[in-house]
Amino acid sequence: MAAYIINLITLMSINAILAVTLNFIMGYAGIYSMAHAIFFGVGAYTAAFVALNFSASFFIAFPIAIIVAAILSLILALPALRVRGEYFVAASLGLQVLGVTIFSEWKSFTGGLGGIIGIPPVEIFTYEVINPLEFMLLSLVCLLLIVGYIAVLSKTSFGRNLKAIRDSESAAYALGKNVAIIKTLSVVISSSLAAVAGALYAVYLGFINVESFTLDTSVLLMAMVIIGGAGTMLGPIFGTVILMLLPSLFSYMWFLPQTEIGSIQQIAYGAAMVLLMIFRPGGLVGSSKKQEAK
Amino acid sequence: MLFLQLVINGLQVGALYALIAVGFSLIFGATKIFHFAHGATFTIAAYVFYSLYSVQEVHWVLSALVAGLAAVLFGVFLDKCVYAPIQRHEGSFFTLFVASLGCGIIVQNLIGIIFGRGFVSVTTPLSQSVELFPGLFVSPLSGIAIICAVLAFAVLQTFLMKTHIGMALRSLSENPELIRVYGLSPRQLSSIVFALGSLLVVPAAILSAASSGLNPAMSHHIMLISLAATIVGGVGSLRGAAYAGLLLGMSENIALLYLGPQWSEAVTFIVLFLFIMFRPAGFFGRAIAS
Amino acid sequence: MNNNSQDILLRISNLEKNFGGLKVTNNVSLDLRAGIVTTLVGPNGAGKTTLFNLITGHLTPNSGDILWKGKSIVGRPHWKLARDGIARTFQDLRLFNQMTVEENILTVMEPISWVWQPGGARKKQERQEKVAEILEKTKLASKAKERALDLSYAERKFLSMARIMASDAQMWLLDEPASGLDRSSYELFLNLLKDEVKKGVTVCIIEHNLDIVVGISDRIAFLDQGKLLADGEPDVVLKDPHLAAIYFGEQTS
Repeated sequence: MAAYIINLITLMSINAILAVTLNFIMGYAGIYSMAHAIFFGVGAYTAAFVALNFSASFFIAFPIAIIVAAILSLILALPALRVRGEYFVAASLGLQVLGVTIFSEWKSFTGGLGGIIGIPPVEIFTYEVINPLEFMLLSLVCLLLIVGYIAVLSKTSFGRNLKAIRDSESAAYALGKNVAIIKTLSVVISSSLAAVAGALYAVYLGFINVESFTLDTSVLLMAMVIIGGAGTMLGPIFGTVILMLLPSLFSYMWFLPQTEIGSIQQIAYGAAMVLLMIFRPGGLVGSSKKQEAK
Repeated sequence: MLFLQLVINGLQVGALYALIAVGFSLIFGATKIFHFAHGATFTIAAYVFYSLYSVQEVHWVLSALVAGLAAVLFGVFLDKCVYAPIQRHEGSFFTLFVASLGCGIIVQNLIGIIFGRGFVSVTTPLSQSVELFPGLFVSPLSGIAIICAVLAFAVLQTFLMKTHIGMALRSLSENPELIRVYGLSPRQLSSIVFALGSLLVVPAAILSAASSGLNPAMSHHIMLISLAATIVGGVGSLRGAAYAGLLLGMSENIALLYLGPQWSEAVTFIVLFLFIMFRPAGFFGRAIAS
Repeated sequence: MNNNSQDILLRISNLEKNFGGLKVTNNVSLDLRAGIVTTLVGPNGAGKTTLFNLITGHLTPNSGDILWKGKSIVGRPHWKLARDGIARTFQDLRLFNQMTVEENILTVMEPISWVWQPGGARKKQERQEKVAEILEKTKLASKAKERALDLSYAERKFLSMARIMASDAQMWLLDEPASGLDRSSYELFLNLLKDEVKKGVTVCIIEHNLDIVVGISDRIAFLDQGKLLADGEPDVVLKDPHLAAIYFGEQTS
């Protein structure tokens, strides 16, 4: 029982990192990305690669994963963000699909469809973090650091710039903000921190494959942010917890066909998204006041 | 010969993509709603047809009609019961998109539960390929697909140009207030647009069911094509969406030949990226300032 | 006022813009001089907001040129123009709704994209002081911590003005800044605008409210169906019966 809970909390913190970083661009900048799972994957594969071939040290594998994700997102964001937000959704959708194909085909780096196995546990100053409880603490610490960083960032002028863009991109533009650069920076920050989740995931499971980084995952992450409440600090964490408890919740409902739990879970959050958008777009945590039409 | 085969396959697929794309482009161009559930409309039509024709062995005309009705009802239902309430209070692009996404997810999974997640297909004598020339296999479905698409576009064109409602529709995106001149309200017209756009996918859904089979996850692919074709063709241009659908069908099949099946979907996106980057206006759309 | 001695800040020459077959801007030439308040009037649909959009770069002209301080600005991205001295407000306000009044004003002074603004603590203090000053002038001090979304209509209009005041721009393009305001509010608005003009801001304002038009304008430009029909002193333009017919004829129809 304790092992189950520790595992759940570890996975929740990893997913929470993903949700919080996605919220940073969705809720604070108004950039709807359907490709967040790709950066999750980039972090995982990079960390796995480094851990297997060079060093499993936390202070080497993780920063490298962050830097790789940052560079990749920079290359992708710079052109993609010049276009309107609506087109960006399409571009990110395309990137997600393309990314999965690349993950599946680039056998030397990602192991192709089979994935990578035998990833060593992460080391902190040569101490191997194998104990699940210790790893859970590590994940929680990472989550807290990232949440803290984003909280601080959102109180700075950069945070205000993002929110201005989210609230009215045209007005921000008309008042002197270089919207493209600000958006690019926010995407880079979001993606590189998402890579941390990927790295944690890789060294935790010891095994990763492309199934974890598909469109379904990106959509689930989006659901976590939206249901919890985009644009709030606690919303995405709340959303993560709820959505991750759903499968267990459903398995307790004996009247539901057990083989269809996955589908039922998706139907549940699909329905939640629809209902929330109609009645409470701010999500569960967000304010219930509705924004007037622009 | 292999190349010719792929061209013909490309045309068949392209014709179907063109239909789907025009349906989406019509809706998006007129209402500016990112109707992500368009893929779900396709899936519903396809599975309704499948369950009636293949499973229940109902006559194909009746099956097609019911499938069409289901698609139209779904589209209009979403407009009236999901999009309209949202538009009343806030109506931001992304709220609508998320709601649409949610609907798509619900439909996809419901169908998965009811019909299973594997591939099913509709077998008809028409799907049998005939070897026209050595190495060139063509099934009557290719011809039917192309004829269907051409017919549908001709009817659509007439409708848009010649009828009152059609003309009102064309002004919906430019100047919604003008619609009242035609005695209609923007809300009513919006429902008509959804009905029309959803109806357009029905022939494509049925023909797809017969030629390549169905599975619940296909809504993703359909959605991606609709989106890509609308952007590449130019937002607001139905002609553009049709040509773009054709282009994407062709490029997908050519990619199949040279790069293998895993890359064919990716190629669609590479085409999309190139357009977004270098010509966001698409073929015929108006350039949109950022 | 001796117009010849004033510098021409913005020169619009032979500007044309078509949408399909419709000429929304038809050979418009207009000079906006430093320190002068020019009002754009005309019936709805005359192309006034379109002209603003052309100046700011939201729309690209089909032909003609726009010179800002002598240099052509056609094709320049709007954010660069804003930093170079042209700021605008919107008819539909486009406030940063989820942010507080204070944040709305502050963020305009923080256009730099890096995480921190240059200048350190001293500049930060200056900005805070300026925010307080603007809040005072626009009578929004008591609402500083409220969300823009929660303000009354008049307060939102004033916040829109507060934002442009924060922009430090040399020239303001104001799009119907006083529409819908009750009498006491628009008198407040008029006084606010007069104060700012005294400090040297050049203003071009689209306005229907005749009291404001008369109260603030140094020059009036009359547009109809994309064409500039008149451009001159308020007395001259407003007394022209032909223009009045177009303007009031449209209003009552």
